[in-house]
Amino acid sequence: MSALAATRDSSAQRTWRALRASTRLGWEISSNWTRPALFLIYAVLRPVSAALILAVMYRVVAGDSEQTRGYLGFLVVGSAFWSFAQQAFTDFANAISEDRGRYRQLKYIYTAPVPFTVYLLGRAASQLGSALASVAVVLLMAAPLLHLHLNPRDVDWPLLLVATLLGAVAVMSLAMACSVLLLGAHDSYGYGEIIASCLYIIGGAIFPIAVLPGALSTLAAWLPLAYWLELTRRALLHDPAAQMFASTGDLGVLMRLLGTTVLLIVLSAALLRYADRRARGQGLIDKETHW
Amino acid sequence: MTRAPSPSASSIFLRTVYARAYPRLVSTLGRERSWMLTEIALPLLGTIAMVYVYQALHAPRPYLGFVVLGGCMLAYWQNVLWSMATQFYWDRDNGTLELYVISPTSLFAVLLGMAFGGIVVTTARAAVVLATGSLLFGVAYEAGGVVPALGAFVVTLIALYCLGSVLAALFLFYGRDVWNLSTALQEPVYFVSGFYFPVRSLTAYVGGAASLLPLTLGLDAVRQLLLPGAVALVGPGVETLVLAAQVPFYAWLAVLAFRKLEEKARREGRLVLRGA
Repeated sequence: MSALAATRDSSAQRTWRALRASTRLGWEISSNWTRPALFLIYAVLRPVSAALILAVMYRVVAGDSEQTRGYLGFLVVGSAFWSFAQQAFTDFANAISEDRGRYRQLKYIYTAPVPFTVYLLGRAASQLGSALASVAVVLLMAAPLLHLHLNPRDVDWPLLLVATLLGAVAVMSLAMACSVLLLGAHDSYGYGEIIASCLYIIGGAIFPIAVLPGALSTLAAWLPLAYWLELTRRALLHDPAAQMFASTGDLGVLMRLLGTTVLLIVLSAALLRYADRRARGQGLIDKETHW
Repeated sequence: MTRAPSPSASSIFLRTVYARAYPRLVSTLGRERSWMLTEIALPLLGTIAMVYVYQALHAPRPYLGFVVLGGCMLAYWQNVLWSMATQFYWDRDNGTLELYVISPTSLFAVLLGMAFGGIVVTTARAAVVLATGSLLFGVAYEAGGVVPALGAFVVTLIALYCLGSVLAALFLFYGRDVWNLSTALQEPVYFVSGFYFPVRSLTAYVGGAASLLPLTLGLDAVRQLLLPGAVALVGPGVETLVLAAQVPFYAWLAVLAFRKLEEKARREGRLVLRGA
Protein backbone atom coordinates (compact mmCIF):
# COMPACT_ATOMS: atom_id res chain seq x y z
CA MET A 1 0.00 0.00 0.00
CA SER A 2 2.76 2.37 1.01
CA ALA A 3 4.72 1.77 -2.22
CA LEU A 4 1.62 2.53 -4.30
CA ALA A 5 0.88 5.67 -2.28
CA ALA A 6 4.47 6.78 -2.63
CA THR A 7 4.28 6.37 -6.42
CA ARG A 8 1.03 8.32 -6.52
CA ASP A 9 2.47 11.01 -4.30
CA SER A 10 5.60 11.36 -6.31
CA SER A 11 3.58 11.51 -9.52
CA ALA A 12 1.33 14.25 -8.09
CA GLN A 13 4.32 16.08 -6.68
CA ARG A 14 6.12 15.82 -10.00
CA THR A 15 3.10 17.24 -11.80
CA TRP A 16 2.82 20.06 -9.28
CA ARG A 17 6.53 20.85 -9.60
CA ALA A 18 6.23 20.83 -13.39
CA LEU A 19 3.24 23.17 -13.24
CA ARG A 20 5.09 25.56 -10.94
CA ALA A 21 8.24 25.49 -13.05
CA SER A 22 6.41 26.05 -16.33
CA THR A 23 4.33 28.83 -14.78
CA ARG A 24 7.50 30.56 -13.63
CA LEU A 25 9.08 30.03 -17.04
CA GLY A 26 6.03 31.50 -18.78
CA TRP A 27 6.04 34.48 -16.44
CA GLU A 28 9.75 35.15 -17.00
CA ILE A 29 9.47 34.85 -20.78
CA SER A 30 6.44 37.10 -20.99
CA SER A 31 7.40 39.73 -18.45
CA ASN A 32 11.12 39.98 -17.81
CA TRP A 33 11.72 42.33 -20.74
CA THR A 34 10.55 45.22 -18.58
CA ARG A 35 9.73 46.33 -15.04
CA PRO A 36 6.61 44.83 -13.38
CA ALA A 37 4.75 48.16 -13.32
CA LEU A 38 5.31 48.68 -17.05
CA PHE A 39 4.31 45.09 -17.71
CA LEU A 40 1.05 45.67 -15.87
CA ILE A 41 0.30 48.73 -18.01
CA TYR A 42 1.21 46.74 -21.11
CA ALA A 43 -1.09 43.89 -20.06
CA VAL A 44 -4.15 46.12 -19.62
CA LEU A 45 -3.50 48.54 -22.50
CA ARG A 46 -5.00 46.29 -25.15
CA PRO A 47 -8.25 45.29 -23.40
CA VAL A 48 -8.81 48.83 -22.11
CA SER A 49 -8.34 50.28 -25.62
CA ALA A 50 -10.63 47.62 -27.12
CA ALA A 51 -13.34 48.47 -24.58
CA LEU A 52 -12.91 52.20 -25.22
CA ILE A 53 -13.23 51.70 -28.98
CA LEU A 54 -16.54 49.90 -28.48
CA ALA A 55 -17.77 52.48 -25.98
CA VAL A 56 -17.08 55.34 -28.42
CA MET A 57 -18.71 53.44 -31.30
CA TYR A 58 -21.76 52.98 -29.12
CA ARG A 59 -21.86 56.64 -28.07
CA VAL A 60 -21.48 57.84 -31.67
CA VAL A 61 -24.61 55.97 -32.71
CA ALA A 62 -26.76 55.70 -29.59
CA GLY A 63 -25.77 58.80 -27.63
CA ASP A 64 -25.77 58.71 -23.85
CA SER A 65 -29.35 58.11 -22.91
CA GLU A 66 -30.32 55.94 -19.92
CA GLN A 67 -32.62 53.86 -22.15
CA THR A 68 -29.85 52.62 -24.42
CA ARG A 69 -27.22 52.04 -21.73
CA GLY A 70 -28.03 48.32 -21.56
CA TYR A 71 -26.18 47.61 -24.76
CA LEU A 72 -23.17 49.59 -23.56
CA GLY A 73 -22.97 47.25 -20.56
CA PHE A 74 -23.29 44.32 -22.98
CA LEU A 75 -20.33 45.63 -25.00
CA VAL A 76 -18.07 46.45 -22.07
CA VAL A 77 -18.59 43.23 -20.10
CA GLY A 78 -18.28 41.08 -23.24
CA SER A 79 -15.15 42.89 -24.37
CA ALA A 80 -13.57 42.71 -20.89
CA PHE A 81 -14.11 38.95 -20.52
CA TRP A 82 -13.15 38.27 -24.11
CA SER A 83 -9.59 39.35 -23.36
CA PHE A 84 -9.22 36.05 -21.46
CA ALA A 85 -10.24 34.03 -24.51
CA GLN A 86 -8.09 36.16 -26.80
CA GLN A 87 -5.08 35.65 -24.55
CA ALA A 88 -5.67 31.91 -24.24
CA PHE A 89 -5.79 31.25 -27.98
CA THR A 90 -2.84 33.54 -28.66
CA ASP A 91 -0.66 32.36 -25.78
CA PHE A 92 -1.01 28.60 -26.14
CA ALA A 93 -0.30 28.81 -29.88
CA ASN A 94 2.59 31.27 -29.54
CA ALA A 95 4.12 29.33 -26.64
CA ILE A 96 4.34 26.17 -28.73
CA SER A 97 5.57 28.09 -31.75
CA GLU A 98 8.29 29.84 -29.71
CA ASP A 99 9.35 26.71 -27.84
CA ARG A 100 9.80 24.83 -31.09
CA GLY A 101 11.20 27.53 -33.36
CA ARG A 102 12.89 30.11 -31.20
CA TYR A 103 14.10 28.27 -28.10
CA ARG A 104 14.20 24.78 -29.68
CA GLN A 105 13.07 23.19 -26.44
CA LEU A 106 9.81 21.56 -27.48
CA LYS A 107 11.27 18.09 -28.02
CA TYR A 108 12.86 18.12 -24.55
CA ILE A 109 9.57 19.16 -22.99
CA TYR A 110 7.79 16.38 -24.86
CA THR A 111 10.27 13.82 -23.57
CA ALA A 112 10.11 15.04 -19.95
CA PRO A 113 8.18 12.79 -17.50
CA VAL A 114 5.21 15.16 -17.13
CA PRO A 115 2.06 15.46 -19.25
CA PHE A 116 2.56 17.98 -22.03
CA THR A 117 -0.79 19.61 -21.24
CA VAL A 118 0.44 20.38 -17.70
CA TYR A 119 3.48 22.15 -19.11
CA LEU A 120 1.34 24.05 -21.60
CA LEU A 121 -1.09 25.12 -18.90
CA GLY A 122 1.73 26.46 -16.75
CA ARG A 123 3.47 28.12 -19.70
CA ALA A 124 0.36 30.18 -20.44
CA ALA A 125 -0.84 30.56 -16.82
CA SER A 126 0.90 33.83 -16.08
CA GLN A 127 -0.52 35.48 -19.20
CA LEU A 128 -3.95 34.08 -18.44
CA GLY A 129 -3.63 35.43 -14.91
CA SER A 130 -2.80 38.88 -16.23
CA ALA A 131 -5.77 38.57 -18.63
CA LEU A 132 -8.06 37.90 -15.66
CA ALA A 133 -6.54 40.91 -13.88
CA SER A 134 -7.22 43.02 -16.97
CA VAL A 135 -10.90 41.94 -16.86
CA ALA A 136 -11.10 43.45 -13.38
CA VAL A 137 -9.23 46.60 -14.44
CA VAL A 138 -11.51 47.18 -17.47
CA LEU A 139 -14.64 46.75 -15.37
CA LEU A 140 -13.33 48.95 -12.56
CA MET A 141 -12.47 51.69 -15.05
CA ALA A 142 -15.62 51.36 -17.14
CA ALA A 143 -18.12 51.51 -14.29
CA PRO A 144 -17.47 55.15 -13.26
CA LEU A 145 -16.31 56.39 -16.68
CA LEU A 146 -19.29 55.06 -18.64
CA HIS A 147 -21.83 55.27 -15.79
CA LEU A 148 -22.49 51.53 -15.84
CA HIS A 149 -24.56 50.03 -13.05
CA LEU A 150 -21.82 47.80 -11.67
CA ASN A 151 -21.92 47.40 -7.94
CA PRO A 152 -19.91 44.65 -6.15
CA ARG A 153 -22.80 44.20 -3.67
CA ASP A 154 -25.25 43.48 -6.48
CA VAL A 155 -23.07 40.95 -8.26
CA ASP A 156 -24.33 37.38 -8.29
CA TRP A 157 -20.93 35.96 -7.28
CA PRO A 158 -21.80 32.23 -7.36
CA LEU A 159 -23.21 32.57 -10.89
CA LEU A 160 -20.21 34.62 -12.01
CA LEU A 161 -17.73 32.11 -10.57
CA VAL A 162 -19.45 29.06 -12.03
CA ALA A 163 -19.82 30.71 -15.44
CA THR A 164 -16.22 31.93 -15.46
CA LEU A 165 -14.90 28.53 -14.41
CA LEU A 166 -16.85 26.67 -17.10
CA GLY A 167 -16.00 29.31 -19.71
CA ALA A 168 -12.31 29.18 -18.83
CA VAL A 169 -12.21 25.36 -19.02
CA ALA A 170 -13.97 25.42 -22.40
CA VAL A 171 -11.71 28.12 -23.83
CA MET A 172 -8.50 26.52 -22.57
CA SER A 173 -9.37 23.03 -23.81
CA LEU A 174 -10.06 24.27 -27.33
CA ALA A 175 -7.06 26.62 -27.28
CA MET A 176 -4.71 23.79 -26.24
CA ALA A 177 -5.99 21.47 -28.96
CA CYS A 178 -5.67 24.20 -31.60
CA SER A 179 -2.15 25.07 -30.49
CA VAL A 180 -0.93 21.48 -30.94
CA LEU A 181 -2.76 21.26 -34.27
CA LEU A 182 -0.89 24.41 -35.40
CA LEU A 183 2.39 22.52 -35.16
CA GLY A 184 1.52 21.41 -38.68
CA ALA A 185 2.03 24.96 -39.97
CA HIS A 186 5.51 26.06 -40.91
CA ASP A 187 5.21 29.45 -39.24
CA SER A 188 2.16 29.47 -36.99
CA TYR A 189 2.98 32.69 -35.16
CA GLY A 190 -0.19 34.80 -35.28
CA TYR A 191 -2.53 31.91 -36.13
CA GLY A 192 -3.78 31.74 -32.55
CA GLU A 193 -4.86 35.34 -32.89
CA ILE A 194 -6.72 34.53 -36.11
CA ILE A 195 -8.62 31.71 -34.37
CA ALA A 196 -9.45 34.09 -31.51
CA SER A 197 -10.63 36.74 -34.01
CA CYS A 198 -12.92 34.20 -35.73
CA LEU A 199 -14.42 33.21 -32.39
CA TYR A 200 -14.75 36.90 -31.47
CA ILE A 201 -17.26 37.21 -34.29
CA ILE A 202 -19.33 34.16 -33.34
CA GLY A 203 -18.77 34.24 -29.57
CA GLY A 204 -21.40 36.84 -28.67
CA ALA A 205 -18.72 39.05 -27.15
CA ILE A 206 -19.68 42.37 -28.70
CA PHE A 207 -23.00 41.79 -30.44
CA PRO A 208 -25.84 39.28 -30.02
CA ILE A 209 -25.36 36.09 -32.02
CA ALA A 210 -28.83 36.65 -33.55
CA VAL A 211 -27.25 39.39 -35.72
CA LEU A 212 -25.13 36.76 -37.49
CA PRO A 213 -26.29 35.08 -40.71
CA GLY A 214 -28.05 31.70 -40.25
CA ALA A 215 -25.19 29.17 -40.42
CA LEU A 216 -22.86 31.24 -38.23
CA SER A 217 -25.64 31.85 -35.74
CA THR A 218 -26.28 28.08 -35.48
CA LEU A 219 -22.58 27.40 -35.03
CA ALA A 220 -22.43 30.08 -32.31
CA ALA A 221 -25.34 28.42 -30.50
CA TRP A 222 -23.37 25.13 -30.34
CA LEU A 223 -20.39 26.80 -28.68
CA PRO A 224 -20.26 27.63 -24.95
CA LEU A 225 -18.80 31.12 -25.49
CA ALA A 226 -22.08 32.99 -25.92
CA TYR A 227 -23.60 31.28 -22.84
CA TRP A 228 -20.50 31.99 -20.75
CA LEU A 229 -20.60 35.70 -21.63
CA GLU A 230 -24.37 35.83 -21.22
CA LEU A 231 -24.10 34.53 -17.65
CA THR A 232 -21.27 36.92 -16.76
CA ARG A 233 -23.47 39.82 -17.98
CA ARG A 234 -26.45 38.54 -16.01
CA ALA A 235 -24.33 38.14 -12.87
CA LEU A 236 -22.83 41.62 -13.18
CA LEU A 237 -25.52 43.80 -14.76
CA HIS A 238 -28.96 42.27 -14.01
CA ASP A 239 -30.19 44.22 -17.04
CA PRO A 240 -32.65 42.52 -19.43
CA ALA A 241 -31.48 44.91 -22.17
CA ALA A 242 -28.02 43.36 -21.99
CA GLN A 243 -29.28 39.79 -22.52
CA MET A 244 -28.97 37.69 -25.65
CA PHE A 245 -31.35 34.95 -24.48
CA ALA A 246 -33.98 37.01 -22.70
CA SER A 247 -36.60 34.26 -22.85
CA THR A 248 -34.37 31.74 -21.06
CA GLY A 249 -33.77 31.81 -17.30
CA ASP A 250 -30.37 31.73 -15.61
CA LEU A 251 -30.62 27.99 -14.96
CA GLY A 252 -31.52 27.30 -18.57
CA VAL A 253 -28.50 29.27 -19.85
CA LEU A 254 -26.29 27.56 -17.26
CA MET A 255 -27.46 24.14 -18.48
CA ARG A 256 -26.67 25.14 -22.06
CA LEU A 257 -23.24 26.34 -20.96
CA LEU A 258 -22.63 23.06 -19.14
CA GLY A 259 -23.80 20.93 -22.07
CA THR A 260 -21.83 22.79 -24.73
CA THR A 261 -18.74 22.91 -22.49
CA VAL A 262 -18.80 19.13 -22.03
CA LEU A 263 -19.26 18.70 -25.78
CA LEU A 264 -16.39 21.07 -26.54
CA ILE A 265 -14.09 19.34 -24.04
CA VAL A 266 -14.79 15.96 -25.65
CA LEU A 267 -14.18 17.35 -29.14
CA SER A 268 -11.05 19.20 -28.02
CA ALA A 269 -9.65 16.06 -26.37
CA ALA A 270 -10.20 14.14 -29.63
CA LEU A 271 -8.60 16.95 -31.63
CA LEU A 272 -5.65 17.13 -29.24
CA ARG A 273 -5.12 13.38 -29.50
CA TYR A 274 -5.22 13.53 -33.30
CA ALA A 275 -2.92 16.59 -33.44
CA ASP A 276 -0.46 14.98 -31.03
CA ARG A 277 -0.30 11.75 -33.00
CA ARG A 278 0.12 13.63 -36.25
CA ALA A 279 2.89 15.79 -34.77
CA ARG A 280 4.77 12.70 -33.53
CA GLY A 281 4.17 10.78 -36.75
CA GLN A 282 5.30 13.57 -39.05
CA GLY A 283 8.23 14.71 -36.93
CA LEU A 284 6.69 18.14 -36.35
CA ILE A 285 7.86 18.46 -32.74
CA ASP A 286 11.48 19.17 -33.57
CA LYS A 287 10.90 20.56 -37.05
CA GLU A 288 13.35 23.33 -37.99
CA THR A 289 11.30 26.45 -38.73
CA HIS A 290 14.12 28.99 -39.25
CA TRP A 291 12.62 31.29 -36.61
CA MET B 1 43.55 45.04 -68.22
CA THR B 2 40.80 47.63 -67.90
CA ARG B 3 38.90 48.20 -64.68
CA ALA B 4 35.13 48.12 -64.79
CA PRO B 5 33.71 51.57 -64.10
CA SER B 6 32.45 52.01 -60.54
CA PRO B 7 28.69 52.40 -60.29
CA SER B 8 27.52 55.88 -59.40
CA ALA B 9 26.14 56.68 -55.95
CA SER B 10 22.63 57.10 -57.33
CA SER B 11 22.85 53.76 -59.12
CA ILE B 12 23.91 52.04 -55.89
CA PHE B 13 21.08 53.76 -54.05
CA LEU B 14 18.46 52.63 -56.55
CA ARG B 15 19.86 49.10 -56.72
CA THR B 16 19.72 48.91 -52.93
CA VAL B 17 16.09 50.05 -52.92
CA TYR B 18 15.25 47.34 -55.45
CA ALA B 19 17.30 44.70 -53.66
CA ARG B 20 15.57 45.37 -50.32
CA ALA B 21 12.08 45.56 -51.83
CA TYR B 22 12.57 42.33 -53.79
CA PRO B 23 12.64 39.82 -50.90
CA ARG B 24 9.65 41.53 -49.34
CA LEU B 25 7.63 40.96 -52.50
CA VAL B 26 8.91 37.46 -53.20
CA SER B 27 8.71 36.20 -49.62
CA THR B 28 5.13 37.26 -49.07
CA LEU B 29 3.63 36.89 -52.52
CA GLY B 30 5.48 33.72 -53.49
CA ARG B 31 7.33 31.80 -50.82
CA GLU B 32 5.69 32.28 -47.42
CA ARG B 33 2.03 32.48 -48.34
CA SER B 34 0.99 31.83 -44.75
CA TRP B 35 2.01 35.43 -43.95
CA MET B 36 -0.54 36.59 -46.50
CA LEU B 37 -3.24 34.70 -44.61
CA THR B 38 -2.29 36.31 -41.28
CA GLU B 39 -2.01 39.79 -42.68
CA ILE B 40 -5.30 39.66 -44.59
CA ALA B 41 -7.28 37.72 -42.01
CA LEU B 42 -6.52 39.88 -38.98
CA PRO B 43 -7.70 43.25 -40.37
CA LEU B 44 -10.59 41.59 -42.22
CA LEU B 45 -11.89 39.74 -39.15
CA GLY B 46 -11.56 42.88 -37.02
CA THR B 47 -13.48 44.82 -39.65
CA ILE B 48 -16.27 42.24 -39.86
CA ALA B 49 -16.66 42.20 -36.06
CA MET B 50 -16.97 45.98 -35.89
CA VAL B 51 -19.45 46.09 -38.80
CA TYR B 52 -21.67 43.67 -36.87
CA VAL B 53 -21.47 45.94 -33.82
CA TYR B 54 -22.79 48.85 -35.91
CA GLN B 55 -25.47 46.58 -37.39
CA ALA B 56 -26.53 45.55 -33.89
CA LEU B 57 -26.76 49.24 -33.02
CA HIS B 58 -28.84 49.88 -36.19
CA ALA B 59 -26.29 52.51 -37.25
CA PRO B 60 -26.73 54.37 -40.55
CA ARG B 61 -25.05 52.60 -43.50
CA PRO B 62 -22.14 55.10 -43.90
CA TYR B 63 -20.80 53.86 -40.56
CA LEU B 64 -20.21 50.47 -42.15
CA GLY B 65 -18.06 52.26 -44.73
CA PHE B 66 -16.21 53.94 -41.86
CA VAL B 67 -15.25 50.54 -40.50
CA VAL B 68 -14.25 49.06 -43.86
CA LEU B 69 -11.96 52.01 -44.66
CA GLY B 70 -10.54 51.77 -41.13
CA GLY B 71 -9.83 48.08 -41.72
CA CYS B 72 -7.82 48.95 -44.86
CA MET B 73 -5.72 51.49 -42.98
CA LEU B 74 -5.24 48.99 -40.18
CA ALA B 75 -3.38 46.74 -42.63
CA TYR B 76 -0.90 49.56 -43.33
CA TRP B 77 -0.39 50.37 -39.65
CA GLN B 78 0.33 46.70 -38.93
CA ASN B 79 2.79 46.66 -41.80
CA VAL B 80 4.54 49.79 -40.52
CA LEU B 81 4.78 48.32 -37.02
CA TRP B 82 5.83 44.80 -37.89
CA SER B 83 7.76 45.29 -41.13
CA MET B 84 9.29 48.74 -40.72
CA ALA B 85 9.58 49.65 -37.05
CA THR B 86 10.77 46.24 -35.87
CA GLN B 87 12.67 45.26 -39.03
CA PHE B 88 16.15 46.56 -38.13
CA TYR B 89 15.75 44.92 -34.75
CA TRP B 90 15.16 41.54 -36.45
CA ASP B 91 17.97 42.33 -38.91
CA ARG B 92 20.38 42.94 -36.06
CA ASP B 93 19.26 39.71 -34.43
CA ASN B 94 19.92 37.61 -37.55
CA GLY B 95 23.16 39.37 -38.45
CA THR B 96 21.97 41.28 -41.53
CA LEU B 97 22.22 44.74 -40.01
CA GLU B 98 26.00 44.59 -39.74
CA LEU B 99 26.14 43.65 -43.44
CA TYR B 100 24.01 46.69 -44.30
CA VAL B 101 26.31 48.94 -42.31
CA ILE B 102 29.58 47.70 -43.84
CA SER B 103 28.24 47.67 -47.39
CA PRO B 104 28.86 50.75 -49.60
CA THR B 105 25.26 51.91 -49.48
CA SER B 106 22.94 54.02 -47.40
CA LEU B 107 20.65 52.73 -44.65
CA PHE B 108 18.00 55.06 -46.07
CA ALA B 109 18.06 53.18 -49.35
CA VAL B 110 17.43 50.02 -47.33
CA LEU B 111 14.58 51.75 -45.50
CA LEU B 112 13.11 52.99 -48.76
CA GLY B 113 13.24 49.48 -50.19
CA MET B 114 11.51 48.13 -47.12
CA ALA B 115 8.83 50.80 -47.38
CA PHE B 116 8.31 50.31 -51.11
CA GLY B 117 8.04 46.52 -50.82
CA GLY B 118 5.78 46.89 -47.79
CA ILE B 119 3.45 49.33 -49.52
CA VAL B 120 3.04 47.10 -52.59
CA VAL B 121 2.36 43.97 -50.56
CA THR B 122 0.07 45.72 -48.08
CA THR B 123 -1.90 47.40 -50.85
CA ALA B 124 -2.79 43.96 -52.18
CA ARG B 125 -4.01 42.99 -48.69
CA ALA B 126 -5.88 46.24 -48.12
CA ALA B 127 -7.59 45.78 -51.49
CA VAL B 128 -8.84 42.36 -50.36
CA VAL B 129 -10.17 43.88 -47.12
CA LEU B 130 -11.82 46.76 -49.02
CA ALA B 131 -13.40 44.53 -51.66
CA THR B 132 -14.57 41.85 -49.23
CA GLY B 133 -15.90 44.31 -46.64
CA SER B 134 -17.66 46.46 -49.23
CA LEU B 135 -19.24 43.53 -51.05
CA LEU B 136 -20.24 41.62 -47.92
CA PHE B 137 -21.97 44.58 -46.31
CA GLY B 138 -23.07 46.52 -49.41
CA VAL B 139 -21.01 49.65 -48.74
CA ALA B 140 -21.25 52.30 -51.47
CA TYR B 141 -18.74 55.12 -52.03
CA GLU B 142 -18.96 58.54 -53.68
CA ALA B 143 -17.56 58.01 -57.18
CA GLY B 144 -16.52 61.65 -57.54
CA GLY B 145 -14.36 61.41 -54.43
CA VAL B 146 -12.24 58.50 -55.60
CA VAL B 147 -9.46 60.47 -57.32
CA PRO B 148 -8.98 63.10 -54.57
CA ALA B 149 -9.21 60.31 -51.98
CA LEU B 150 -6.43 58.44 -53.79
CA GLY B 151 -4.32 61.62 -53.71
CA ALA B 152 -4.85 62.06 -49.95
CA PHE B 153 -4.19 58.35 -49.46
CA VAL B 154 -0.84 58.46 -51.28
CA VAL B 155 0.34 61.43 -49.20
CA THR B 156 -0.81 59.58 -46.06
CA LEU B 157 1.22 56.51 -46.99
CA ILE B 158 4.37 58.55 -47.64
CA ALA B 159 4.02 60.33 -44.28
CA LEU B 160 3.19 57.05 -42.56
CA TYR B 161 6.24 55.20 -43.86
CA CYS B 162 8.45 58.18 -42.95
CA LEU B 163 7.09 57.81 -39.42
CA GLY B 164 7.85 54.09 -39.72
CA SER B 165 11.49 54.98 -40.48
CA VAL B 166 11.65 57.06 -37.29
CA LEU B 167 10.21 54.14 -35.34
CA ALA B 168 12.72 51.75 -36.96
CA ALA B 169 15.58 53.83 -35.51
CA LEU B 170 13.98 54.09 -32.09
CA PHE B 171 12.95 50.44 -31.87
CA LEU B 172 16.44 49.30 -32.84
CA PHE B 173 17.84 50.64 -29.62
CA TYR B 174 14.83 50.07 -27.47
CA GLY B 175 16.04 46.81 -25.96
CA ARG B 176 14.67 43.31 -25.73
CA ASP B 177 11.50 41.78 -27.09
CA VAL B 178 10.63 44.76 -29.20
CA TRP B 179 7.46 43.06 -30.46
CA ASN B 180 5.88 43.81 -27.10
CA LEU B 181 6.23 47.47 -27.98
CA SER B 182 4.68 46.87 -31.39
CA THR B 183 1.83 44.94 -29.79
CA ALA B 184 1.29 47.80 -27.34
CA LEU B 185 1.03 50.25 -30.25
CA GLN B 186 -1.86 48.43 -31.93
CA GLU B 187 -5.19 48.84 -30.09
CA PRO B 188 -4.34 52.22 -28.49
CA VAL B 189 -3.56 53.60 -31.97
CA TYR B 190 -6.75 52.06 -33.39
CA PHE B 191 -8.54 53.96 -30.65
CA VAL B 192 -6.92 57.42 -30.86
CA SER B 193 -6.80 57.41 -34.66
CA GLY B 194 -10.50 56.58 -34.94
CA PHE B 195 -10.15 53.43 -37.02
CA TYR B 196 -13.77 52.45 -36.37
CA PHE B 197 -15.47 55.77 -35.62
CA PRO B 198 -15.09 59.46 -36.55
CA VAL B 199 -12.04 60.75 -34.69
CA ARG B 200 -13.96 63.94 -33.98
CA SER B 201 -16.00 61.92 -31.45
CA LEU B 202 -12.94 61.94 -29.19
CA THR B 203 -13.17 65.77 -29.03
CA ALA B 204 -11.16 68.17 -31.16
CA TYR B 205 -8.28 68.21 -28.64
CA VAL B 206 -7.73 64.46 -28.67
CA GLY B 207 -8.29 64.37 -32.43
CA GLY B 208 -5.75 67.19 -32.86
CA ALA B 209 -3.15 65.40 -30.72
CA ALA B 210 -3.81 62.13 -32.57
CA SER B 211 -3.18 64.00 -35.83
CA LEU B 212 0.52 63.59 -35.17
CA LEU B 213 -0.09 60.11 -36.53
CA PRO B 214 -0.57 60.44 -40.30
CA LEU B 215 -3.20 57.70 -40.15
CA THR B 216 -5.60 59.91 -38.22
CA LEU B 217 -5.73 62.72 -40.76
CA GLY B 218 -5.42 60.43 -43.77
CA LEU B 219 -8.31 58.26 -42.70
CA ASP B 220 -10.45 61.28 -41.86
CA ALA B 221 -9.73 62.87 -45.25
CA VAL B 222 -10.40 59.67 -47.22
CA ARG B 223 -13.67 59.12 -45.34
CA GLN B 224 -14.87 62.64 -46.04
CA LEU B 225 -14.14 62.23 -49.73
CA LEU B 226 -15.64 58.77 -50.14
CA LEU B 227 -18.47 58.91 -47.62
CA PRO B 228 -20.00 62.39 -47.85
CA GLY B 229 -21.69 63.65 -44.70
CA ALA B 230 -19.12 62.00 -42.45
CA VAL B 231 -18.34 63.81 -39.19
CA ALA B 232 -14.93 65.40 -39.81
CA LEU B 233 -12.05 66.84 -37.85
CA VAL B 234 -11.27 69.54 -40.44
CA GLY B 235 -11.70 69.69 -44.22
CA PRO B 236 -9.88 67.14 -46.43
CA GLY B 237 -7.83 69.88 -48.11
CA VAL B 238 -6.37 71.09 -44.82
CA GLU B 239 -5.75 67.52 -43.69
CA THR B 240 -3.87 66.71 -46.90
CA LEU B 241 -1.75 69.84 -46.49
CA VAL B 242 -0.84 68.90 -42.92
CA LEU B 243 0.01 65.41 -44.12
CA ALA B 244 2.21 66.86 -46.85
CA ALA B 245 4.01 68.90 -44.17
CA GLN B 246 4.48 65.76 -42.07
CA VAL B 247 6.43 64.07 -44.88
CA PRO B 248 9.60 66.24 -44.68
CA PHE B 249 9.21 66.51 -40.90
CA TYR B 250 9.24 62.76 -40.29
CA ALA B 251 11.89 62.23 -43.00
CA TRP B 252 14.14 64.77 -41.24
CA LEU B 253 13.40 63.17 -37.88
CA ALA B 254 14.33 59.75 -39.30
CA VAL B 255 17.65 61.08 -40.66
CA LEU B 256 18.42 62.70 -37.33
CA ALA B 257 17.47 59.61 -35.32
CA PHE B 258 19.54 57.28 -37.50
CA ARG B 259 22.62 59.52 -37.40
CA LYS B 260 22.48 59.84 -33.62
CA LEU B 261 21.70 56.23 -32.95
CA GLU B 262 24.14 54.82 -35.49
CA GLU B 263 26.95 56.84 -33.94
CA LYS B 264 25.90 55.76 -30.45
CA ALA B 265 25.65 52.15 -31.57
CA ARG B 266 29.10 52.19 -33.18
CA ARG B 267 30.58 53.59 -29.96
CA GLU B 268 28.84 51.03 -27.76
CA GLY B 269 29.26 48.11 -30.14
CA ARG B 270 25.52 47.52 -30.29
CA LEU B 271 25.16 47.12 -34.03
CA VAL B 272 26.26 43.52 -33.74
CA LEU B 273 24.64 42.76 -30.40
CA ARG B 274 22.25 39.83 -30.74
CA GLY B 275 19.37 38.83 -28.53
CA ALA B 276 19.61 42.17 -26.74
